[in-house]
Amino acid sequence: MASDPHKPPRQIGGELVIPIFAVGFTLYFFSTIWNSPWTAQVSAFMVGGFLLLVCAIFFVRCILWLRRGQGTLGFANLFTVDDLRTGRIGLLATTVGYVMFIDRLGFTLMTFLFLAISMLILAKGRNAGFIILISGAMALIGWAVFIWAFDTRFPRGWFETTMQAVMNNG
Amino acid sequence: MDSSTASILTEVFFETLGYWYIIVPTIFLGLIVGGIPGFSAANTIIILMPLTLALDLQSGLVFMISLYCAARMGAGIPAILVNIPGTAGAAATPLDGYPMSKQGKGQQALAISFVASCIGGLLTTVIALAAMPILARVGFYMHSVEMIVVMLFGISLIASIAAQDMVKGLIAGFLGLMIGSIGTDVVYATPRGTFGFLELYDGVPLIPALVGLFAVSEAFVIIEKRVIVNHDNEPKAPNWTDTFDGVRIALKRWVHIVWTSIIGLVIGVIPGAGASIASFVAYQQSRSFSKTPERYGTGHPEGLIAPEAANNGVTSGTLVPLLVLGIPGGATAAIMLVVMQFHGVSFGPSLFENQPKVGYGMFMAMAVSYVIMFLTILPLSRYMSHVTTIPTIYLAPMIISFTLVGGFVPREYMFDMYLALAFGVLGYIARRTGYHVAAILIGVILGPLLEKYFLWSLKKSDGDIMVLFSSTLGNILWVAFAMSIILPLVFGMRRKRKLEVPAE
Repeated sequence: MASDPHKPPRQIGGELVIPIFAVGFTLYFFSTIWNSPWTAQVSAFMVGGFLLLVCAIFFVRCILWLRRGQGTLGFANLFTVDDLRTGRIGLLATTVGYVMFIDRLGFTLMTFLFLAISMLILAKGRNAGFIILISGAMALIGWAVFIWAFDTRFPRGWFETTMQAVMNNG
Repeated sequence: MDSSTASILTEVFFETLGYWYIIVPTIFLGLIVGGIPGFSAANTIIILMPLTLALDLQSGLVFMISLYCAARMGAGIPAILVNIPGTAGAAATPLDGYPMSKQGKGQQALAISFVASCIGGLLTTVIALAAMPILARVGFYMHSVEMIVVMLFGISLIASIAAQDMVKGLIAGFLGLMIGSIGTDVVYATPRGTFGFLELYDGVPLIPALVGLFAVSEAFVIIEKRVIVNHDNEPKAPNWTDTFDGVRIALKRWVHIVWTSIIGLVIGVIPGAGASIASFVAYQQSRSFSKTPERYGTGHPEGLIAPEAANNGVTSGTLVPLLVLGIPGGATAAIMLVVMQFHGVSFGPSLFENQPKVGYGMFMAMAVSYVIMFLTILPLSRYMSHVTTIPTIYLAPMIISFTLVGGFVPREYMFDMYLALAFGVLGYIARRTGYHVAAILIGVILGPLLEKYFLWSLKKSDGDIMVLFSSTLGNILWVAFAMSIILPLVFGMRRKRKLEVPAE
């Protein structure tokens, strides 16, 4: 099949991430059941064996694509400079920060900070007033519904403790 | 059904209608808790247990049942609009619901989903009432061998999803099955693939997987666009036309609603099986016997009707073993059992003799809830669909924060939020490189169940694999499974041949 010269080459590097992860994980999984009873092994060996086989077929397919010049080992389908421009990298960083600090700062404060910073990154600093307003409103609605009304055990911090004290004494 | 039963049913129906002031607010509560991953009817009833116990029996039952039905329906709303199933039971809904939203048909999709859910739920309630003694026996006949085949019906959906790129689809599906195998094995509790994390000994929790694969990864993808809906398909101002179109499309496919909701009902009466299995099986069956299987996954109404009708069919199904045998069919039914026992209700066949109003009242509460839900929610679809026009710079961070915290709720482990984030990265890579996240999720959900039933079967037969073909019902199901794989291929070939004839 003749490849279209105008079509960008297939980014095989990106496509290989999941199969390589699958092979690594399957081999790790096998290592954890090697000396286990058959009940722990039977299903994993069947599923894992098939997964290794399908991954091997995919690797062969990739080699053929590379040899025919239909693809490169690039990762442009996963990471590009556009990810910085669109704010995706910034959003990822704030998401990691959200998960790391929510336990210390509590749900309401951390949600406000996360929403405000992420939206400002994605909006490239525009509409700051509106963003802070909407972030504060969403965090407060979240607190009112989940913590105040439903008493859900969301991570609690300074804000929740203060509000609880205010409610108890108010 | 004799005349006394009919008069009790009529009386209970109108009595239940009198509880509209409980049903209407509960429906809205159910839609909210159903729509947020991590919250569900079960944990909301637990949270509101003091309120439920303080109410009289009838009010408490009406509250629990309407919350259960509304939460089931609510889980489909974010699945359609933003590709985030509220519960695992709605995991098959975005396969066709979300593409419809992206095409600017969010309002239509919501109307289709509401009609399928309400008719499916209502119809199965009637069938469950009429066929209760027969349905109650289903649970007795479904052993581990038969359940293996039921699981395979669902898992074979991976192959359907993989149709566009078989190798990549199978890699995604089997990776999901491997991830689903994490945790201790069901016989000797040997830990496997846990990376040393105690939090994974019980297996991979479903909600963080769902949140990560669908919500977090979707949030990172949608920021490329200004709004979710495709640029040339932006929806018009709120109008009734799209809602009525959706209703018409759904009603035109009433046969489809009927048979997929019956699939849900039958799976619902099996204790331990649930809405996720039912919706995957219904979607797979719907696609297998469709005249246009190639349209599934592209925003095909039938692909939306099947999972929604089926998962609402499950709601009435789970009540059957609860009421007739005292065996809850799922988590919510188990909580209802506790509340009813607190009020001194004893289960079993005698329930319908000693307290017929309680027994029939639960089904009537369900029927009334579906009727009221249809009338109250359908008009809202015209406003709900506008979620798809919210700029993604605001929507994406909201999705991430509220769903990640939702991942924390079921077990209250911080670990689960990290896990959701890890699944988010996996989901993002999968989406960007052409692997189907739904195939991974099917594996994660159904894999552990399949393994459990498989090991139980082997254990019971001392490792004899032929046990899989040892029961009559099991063999009938095997034949049905084989037919559901082979017949669509035959039909497909015949269709292809018919299309080729004029060209010749």
